[in-house]
Amino acid sequence: MSVVVRTIARILLPIVFAFGGYVIMHGHLTPGGGFQGGAVVASALALVLVAFGEASLKKYKDLLSALESLGGVAFVVLGLIGIPFTFFANVLAGVGGLFGQSVPPGPNPGYLNTAGTLPLMNWAVGLKVIAGLGSVVVLFGLFGGEDDR
Amino acid sequence: MKRWFVLAAFLVVAGFLVLLGTGMRPFGAPKAFEMDQYFIDYTQAEVAANNVVTAVVFDYRGYDTLGEATVLFCAVVGVALILRKVRR
Amino acid sequence: MTVWAVLQVMTLVLIVIGSVLAVWLKDLLAAVLALGGASLLLSLEFYLLQAPDVAIAEAGIGAALTTAIFILAIRKTRRKEEE
Repeated sequence: MSVVVRTIARILLPIVFAFGGYVIMHGHLTPGGGFQGGAVVASALALVLVAFGEASLKKYKDLLSALESLGGVAFVVLGLIGIPFTFFANVLAGVGGLFGQSVPPGPNPGYLNTAGTLPLMNWAVGLKVIAGLGSVVVLFGLFGGEDDR
Repeated sequence: MKRWFVLAAFLVVAGFLVLLGTGMRPFGAPKAFEMDQYFIDYTQAEVAANNVVTAVVFDYRGYDTLGEATVLFCAVVGVALILRKVRR
Repeated sequence: MTVWAVLQVMTLVLIVIGSVLAVWLKDLLAAVLALGGASLLLSLEFYLLQAPDVAIAEAGIGAALTTAIFILAIRKTRRKEEE
């Protein structure tokens, strides 16, 4: 692409990545979550692909597929943690420790250390969506080139 | 002939949509609200989360999210199968 | 209250116009851009209906990723639609 597109992409990319990470990280406090933040980061990957060419993301293809499987496995394992009660039981909520702080009833004060397994599941689904949609975009970009994929 | 068939199909679908639209309930007044009220009342005590939507998606309806993740995985596998390098 | 109603009606009319343009245009790149604009306006409509989760998902998937994938596919194939 032209130098204008590349310059604007260099300015815009850190902001988009930071916003996607914010949406995933605060999924249990604000609107959004793993799927939405993952979609935002994957669109940033599409911007990288369009602005800097297909060759810039080619070496990350195996990493993306590995992250996709890691996100899926982490999600199922987090569901299996609550298997003594029921599948997807939230065993970390309200017992102290990691994300175990309980919330007072009423309006949202914005405590980050709450909600049990929900932030971890947000990160698992976020990794899965980033890697899945990112690898779809990368595969579409690499298709039909003269070099092997 | 084909043009008249397309026009008739369009009119039938548009008529059904308008007929359904006239019977809609007003905004913010759902027909069955007991489950919504349960989520609003008990999410902060049971899940210890402030975001009710995320609590429903990842805790109460975790199976649905698992199915959604499976759908995404199937889509990625399909794209990777179709767009792979063909070996001769 | 009426301001919100007028804004919603304008958004819905623009969504219909964008969708009709996406079907009607022969230049596929312009059609894809019309589809992306309609999707972005649909995300605005979700936000006006107080569903910010769906609005973020629609803006990310529909307006950005689908447009990018369609443009990548058009770049590998033809740009003009043929009868």
